[in-house]
Amino acid sequence: MFDLIKSGKNKPALKPKPLAKMPHTELGMDYKAWCDSHKGTHKWRNIRWSVLIFMNLLFVVSFAYDLTILEGSLSGSRLIGFYLMDPFNALQLLAISSTTGYIGMLTMNFWIGFITILLFWFLLGGRSYCSWMCPYHLISEWAEKLHNYLVKKKKIKEHIFQRSLRYVFWFGFILLALLTQNLVFEDLNMVGIVSRAMIYGPGLLLLWVIAVLLFEIVYSKRFWCRYVCPIGTTYSMVGKLSPLAIKFDLDKCGYCRDCQAVCLVPHVLWFVQRGKATQEVHYTGSDCTKCGLCIDTCAGNALSYTIKGWGTIL
Amino acid sequence: MAKGDFDRREFLKSGAIAVGALAIVGSGVSYLDKSDEGTQLTQEFLRPPGAIGEIDFMYGCIKCGLCVQICPVHAIKLADVHEGLSYGTPYIDVRNQACDFSCDALQCVETCPTAVLDFEQFKNAGAIAVEKASKLPGVDLSKVNPFEVQKVAMKEAVKIGKAHVNRRTCLAHNRKGFKGISRGLDFEGILRSPDSKYDYATPLKDKEFDMEICNLCVTECPIGETAIVFVPGRGSGKLHPRVLDGCTGCGVCVMVCPTDKPSIVVEPIKS
Repeated sequence: MFDLIKSGKNKPALKPKPLAKMPHTELGMDYKAWCDSHKGTHKWRNIRWSVLIFMNLLFVVSFAYDLTILEGSLSGSRLIGFYLMDPFNALQLLAISSTTGYIGMLTMNFWIGFITILLFWFLLGGRSYCSWMCPYHLISEWAEKLHNYLVKKKKIKEHIFQRSLRYVFWFGFILLALLTQNLVFEDLNMVGIVSRAMIYGPGLLLLWVIAVLLFEIVYSKRFWCRYVCPIGTTYSMVGKLSPLAIKFDLDKCGYCRDCQAVCLVPHVLWFVQRGKATQEVHYTGSDCTKCGLCIDTCAGNALSYTIKGWGTIL
Repeated sequence: MAKGDFDRREFLKSGAIAVGALAIVGSGVSYLDKSDEGTQLTQEFLRPPGAIGEIDFMYGCIKCGLCVQICPVHAIKLADVHEGLSYGTPYIDVRNQACDFSCDALQCVETCPTAVLDFEQFKNAGAIAVEKASKLPGVDLSKVNPFEVQKVAMKEAVKIGKAHVNRRTCLAHNRKGFKGISRGLDFEGILRSPDSKYDYATPLKDKEFDMEICNLCVTECPIGETAIVFVPGRGSGKLHPRVLDGCTGCGVCVMVCPTDKPSIVVEPIKS
């Protein structure tokens, strides 16, 4: 709710810019040529993929060569001796252990890890975890490309569901954990399974990952990430008030909507459509994974990483 | 029909499917959970030192693998899905690689963030032992190394299980000796034997034995004479291994046992 109020979605829309005020006219360029002028720029995508692969490799290398850099897996780890906990795992565990009384047994390291991870991703925008850290995200990103291609070729139909389904799953998994006294989600968790498979060697559960991936390719785009994954939902809640966001300057926008076309969560860029923006400046909401694809593609540099209140940083 | 109505109906529909899916997963999990209760642990599937009861262990373990990571002899492995719901939880298969205590600190236990490997008990055991040692009459305190005392007390407090000798196949029980490399040259397991000149574990295949009556399980035991002794049998008077209450269930004896199928096995402690 807070997000909605701040986002300015409920305010009356501003009038669209006249042709004379459009960035391409000001530069004296043809509209199509202007729109395509940033095509092929992949700066942030390359940085992000490198970070994602590097961090996951750190896990693998730390185990393979017995280094004290980044030990454990994405379900729980130690960064140079400093504990970090997966928040949804921790929430399930806290839910169960508060009913059994086990909660008092949890170590200080657990609490430090849990609070640190929440603070860390709060500062970095919540779901940034998804696109900058989650190994399943990267695989799924490529699957999404394939999916889009198949849809374009009319081989398959797109199936869209409601995003609020993830809250059903979020509460559902917590409830399941409570009822079965087991970390049920961890047995289905893409992040954990892929992470453990990379670090400790592959297991049978990779078949489940492949099944979900195939489902995403042939039936519904990004099904797991968009509608199911409670880790992403948790991070989305964490990122509600996050200072880091993508900033949109209406002034520099050419209404081409290329950014929305490449966006992994297009609804966060609702304001880029002609006549939709209600303010001169908009910030993406907490579902935004801060992947930077929109920044790369924007011909007018209307989108940028920002710390709210500090102005544009990058 | 208004758009909102349509949205709501769609949501209710997919929501119902989601709840159904969750219910199926849930009942599947509780079914497996029931059939698995207490039967999880076997000789091939022992929990690492300090593990709490299976019921709490199941939800307490977050499957991070930090214990796997820290073990210097790589004794701990994460279970795959065919071990039922224990997916991702740590276990030790002592026949392949036993816990030989060569980390000297129960590091796997200390590193566990959710305390399903509970360090508190070992900390207390260590502290009590140091306290006791310092109060012994006639002890020169400057000559007592508290770390040594603590180390020994901590590993003696481990209770993974208890070893049992199979009299039918045990070489000593059959009055046989053993000469050679106990598990063959292909065996990868490592171990810090009590008579080793190194303070870390070395490959078992590097050590050659020559025993008139096989007593590898006794000589290689990291705990020593409180755990297993080589004594004459009551009736026969012939030497054979006898496991005592000090046995921690570390499984080194199982790993070194030269018979094809181990003649000594660790029975897990069940809560």
